[in-house]
Amino acid sequence: MPQVSMIPEPCRILAAEPQNARDVHFTVEAPAAFAPEPGQFVMVSLPGIGEAPFSLAALPGEGAAPGTFEMLIRRIGRLTNLITEQAAGDVLYVRGPYGRRVAWDQFEESSLLLMAGGLGLAPLRSFVRRALLRRERFGRIDLLVGARSPDELLFRDDLRAWAARHDDVHVHLTVDAAREGWEGRIGVITSLLDGLTVEAAGTVAFLCGPPVMYRHCLRRLLAMGLYEHHLWLTLERRMKCGLGLCGNCQVDGHYLCAEGPLVSWREVRHLREVV
Amino acid sequence: MDGDIYRLPRERLDLLLERLAREYRVVGPVRDGSSWMWTDVRPGTPLALDYPTTMLPPRQFFAPMRETLFRFRRGADGVFAFEQPERTRPIALVGVHGCDLTSLRVLHAFHESSCRDRVVPSRLDRSLVVGLACWSPCLPESFCRDMGSLENESPASLYCYDLGAVLLVKVQSARGGEVLRDVTTEVATPDELVALRQRLRVRSEAFKPQLPFPPDRLPTALKAAEADILWEATADRCLSCGRCNLVCPTCTCFDVADEAVLDGASGARVRAWTGCQVPGFSRVAGGHDFRPTRAQQLRYRIFRKGRYMPERHGVLGCTGCGRCATHCPTHISIRDIFLQVGRAP
Repeated sequence: MPQVSMIPEPCRILAAEPQNARDVHFTVEAPAAFAPEPGQFVMVSLPGIGEAPFSLAALPGEGAAPGTFEMLIRRIGRLTNLITEQAAGDVLYVRGPYGRRVAWDQFEESSLLLMAGGLGLAPLRSFVRRALLRRERFGRIDLLVGARSPDELLFRDDLRAWAARHDDVHVHLTVDAAREGWEGRIGVITSLLDGLTVEAAGTVAFLCGPPVMYRHCLRRLLAMGLYEHHLWLTLERRMKCGLGLCGNCQVDGHYLCAEGPLVSWREVRHLREVV
Repeated sequence: MDGDIYRLPRERLDLLLERLAREYRVVGPVRDGSSWMWTDVRPGTPLALDYPTTMLPPRQFFAPMRETLFRFRRGADGVFAFEQPERTRPIALVGVHGCDLTSLRVLHAFHESSCRDRVVPSRLDRSLVVGLACWSPCLPESFCRDMGSLENESPASLYCYDLGAVLLVKVQSARGGEVLRDVTTEVATPDELVALRQRLRVRSEAFKPQLPFPPDRLPTALKAAEADILWEATADRCLSCGRCNLVCPTCTCFDVADEAVLDGASGARVRAWTGCQVPGFSRVAGGHDFRPTRAQQLRYRIFRKGRYMPERHGVLGCTGCGRCATHCPTHISIRDIFLQVGRAP
């Protein structure tokens, strides 16, 4: 009798690097037969404390070494506070990957426009890596990154490296507010679209950020002429099982843990309470 | 033997319980003060075969209100080891009305059609269900006839008609036949079969239709009922207590939490019933709630029963049992809502 259990696998932490006062970048041993696609997620737990869903900031062999994966975890509650206190050599308990496997060949030949607000850069980082694997198959790649303040800009080494290879990825940064010394742009993430010329029909956009970001970005991108089926959103919900069972991530008749979290606007625009 | 009807004099009902107890954990309706509940029964337990309906639905035996998913224990190397709970004893449910029989079909369809968990379906498959015909409406809020539950006799392996001094028992599966053979081999007499036909005729008059449309119209009717204003009026009196979720025989949502002993070295991860009407159910990390108002939550519950379940799992999520309305502290009635949306042009 096939039976999926919710028992996790012990996975050793290989590196735990604080990015700022509350975000820690983890490199973790992957569970057995772990072959995720960008946009999928894992359930991570500490027994006795709890379990929560986390997105993948790098996939095995694509930015992360084979047999490992990366995540960014923010101290935001009891579980994440304790996880971020774990160090290299300690163990996290992981099951997954969960979520829909979106085929990437459909994006080939297209230009990519990635919009990451705050923590949304974590999953989109694995999208950028995937595109860079076969850079020649994609058109122009623009990565738009918004953060509350310069201190909260994540994955700065990557941003710097990508910005230096300007032909590969055009990196655009903005912050909501900054003290003196910040020479970059100040404003919400949609303001980065102002100076941008994209070939609307041939561009695929990926959005990930706080709930408030989606409506504004969608409105702008649709106004720019991007097709609805080219707008991909990673929709956050508090998944408890990952199996399409517990109902916590359900939007209308859809379980985002199974049919998401990566969905196109065309697929979900008619649903209630999506964004 | 399939389809044959046997007779079981009432005083020999205990023999059936005894026979079932050899292989199953036997559960039936028992009176508890002013209400009725599903509880373990054994020969001698006064089975309340005239019960109206229980407050908690039979799903509690297949997806328990609180269930250990696995236990954990920290090993000498500091790493936790996990252990799956032992398989539970198969359940024999005795005296299940049409509405709750329907709910078992709904649970099966829900778990089979899309999710990757076989736990609940395998428990349903291993169980033996003894159905029981209803002769008169049990709750003012029930509308089982309209939802097609009244006459549903599936998935019962044995189906009983209570004629007072004698129960007529219809065999509906090979498994049911095996069990019943050890209890009675007397077939129903011609007189008893005439009496049964008579009771069934009387019954169909006792249950008045309450919805002026067939239930398969609900998905379409609800499609036209998206507007907030329809829901606000009713949701205004919702207290967000979540009782409708708990008593619903087809609700399936659960929460997951860890229960650890104080030293943190061992414990269990458990799942426990929760529901879409409970505040915070649709809240995500950071505090945003995608379904924050009671109107949205009420609409979601009704849509799930009347539209999402049929669209996704091929079965209506409402059996017409009437529990949610009966136990709602402010009498929000799913039947009245169905009436309202079904009437809309």
